[in-house]
Amino acid sequence: MSERIPIVVDPDLADLIPGFLDNRRRDVATLQVLAAAGGFAEIRRLGHSMKGAGGGYGFDAISDIGGAIEHAALAADAAGIVQQIERLADYLARIDLVFAA
Amino acid sequence: MHRSELGSERTNAGKVLMVDDDADMLALLGRWLQGAGFTTLTASSGSDALHQIATARPDIVVTDLFMDEMDGMTLVSLVHADDPLTPVIMLSGQARIPDAVRATHLGISAFLTKPIAKDAFLDEVTKHIHPHRRAGSSAFGRNIIYRSDVMAELIEQGELVAQGDVTVFISGETGTGKEVLARAVHDASPRRNQPFIGVNCGAIPEQLLESELFGHEKGSFTGASNRHEGLFLAADGGTLFLDEIGDMPLGLQVKLLRVLQDFEVRPVGSIKSVPVNVRIISATHNDLESLVAKGEFREDLYYRLNVVPLCMPRLAERAEDIPLLLEHFLIVHAGRAGNSRKRFAPDAVAYLGGASWPGNIRQLANVVELCTTLTKGAIIPLSMAHRALRHEPVHIKTLKEARADFERNYLVSVLRISEGNVANAARVAGRNRTEFYKLLNQYDLDAGDYRTGDGDA
Repeated sequence: MSERIPIVVDPDLADLIPGFLDNRRRDVATLQVLAAAGGFAEIRRLGHSMKGAGGGYGFDAISDIGGAIEHAALAADAAGIVQQIERLADYLARIDLVFAA
Repeated sequence: MHRSELGSERTNAGKVLMVDDDADMLALLGRWLQGAGFTTLTASSGSDALHQIATARPDIVVTDLFMDEMDGMTLVSLVHADDPLTPVIMLSGQARIPDAVRATHLGISAFLTKPIAKDAFLDEVTKHIHPHRRAGSSAFGRNIIYRSDVMAELIEQGELVAQGDVTVFISGETGTGKEVLARAVHDASPRRNQPFIGVNCGAIPEQLLESELFGHEKGSFTGASNRHEGLFLAADGGTLFLDEIGDMPLGLQVKLLRVLQDFEVRPVGSIKSVPVNVRIISATHNDLESLVAKGEFREDLYYRLNVVPLCMPRLAERAEDIPLLLEHFLIVHAGRAGNSRKRFAPDAVAYLGGASWPGNIRQLANVVELCTTLTKGAIIPLSMAHRALRHEPVHIKTLKEARADFERNYLVSVLRISEGNVANAARVAGRNRTEFYKLLNQYDLDAGDYRTGDGDA
């Protein structure tokens, strides 16, 4: 699972994207704590936000993972949430941002 | 990042308020909107949004549905309770039909599902924003002078109404400009290239009004030596403005109601009905609801006419427009008199801006005329404004003036009905030709203006 994922950055959003990704990395840590505590409502909210914004920034996979987290939280599916958190962490670790010259 | 660096081809004006409790979403939408030339405001909650709407007056609101504290539905309800014309676009993370239906019932302009595509989002904002609404620069009503919010809202309503074909009812005190608004609605409507015909229902006796509106056949009454088309048919394809509808006699109200129901008119003395395609705009200074309660106006006609009500505010209710109106009438008067334009002294403007103006814009126009006529210098002082306003009697006409108004309207009606034939017109009016000519001269009326085709005199 170490294959890199190149993402071509929208030049209009170039300065916003590092902050967006930092926030998602923070989400990974937050979600892990919430998952351990069974904080499904807050997990759902975070998943919902990820789903809404990810694609707009050019990260369709983040929208996809956010939707899956929201869905799992609604179903109180702790195992499913953990699985999606790992998927998010893995995705974030493998992204290579490609900026236009 | 500067707007020019974004390489956007869009150049939009207007202020967009974005409401979302997700900072990343606000940043994303803000960047897209700024790149397209919009000015942006952000709110991270519904209550913050309401505060910004009250203070910054955005042209459109874009809100998320799913938010803590106050959700998007509640926000839309509160926004529209204050101003139902504020466009709201709702974003939702879920494409749930019940949400979309409920939001539509609340009057939103668009419901978009996240993640949203940039172009689709900008297209919706561009489509629904009304950046002109508070700028007073709308092409609609370009002859209406205003900068007040109350007029901006009215103009926006009028513009929306103009595009359809619904019956419009304009209420408002005498002198507020009801006919100006009616004409603006017509000019912005698909009927703009067809006739706009106005008639004052209160200035014409019942029998003449019937003939004036619906037409008559030759010989249908004494003096009806020619067939008369009537204003409904003359306005066919266009707009008929029925001013002072509250003064229409009850007998005629029934006939008008029938026309509005059937879209057919039957001229006096005819057994045949003729189809008509006319948009009706009616107006009155009366309180029609109270006339209905007193049995002086038909309830069924009231509801038939009052499909879309527009209310012209009193001039005192739009005091911030007074300096603009003073300026406008100073220019008009200077142009008419061929003089250089005079100006009001600042304290005179302040004084006039705070006056109660019972005669509304008509009174203001007269005061400007009086002031410019009586002021020798270039600046109209406060003392002259005092004097003009104190002596300006426009809101109550003298009996002589009222009688003259009535006589002139009456003569115009008779001339229309007789199509400029003076002998017939004189007969209808119960005068001989010489007397009738004298009356026409007195009111500066020319029978030739009312002739159609090869009609004789």
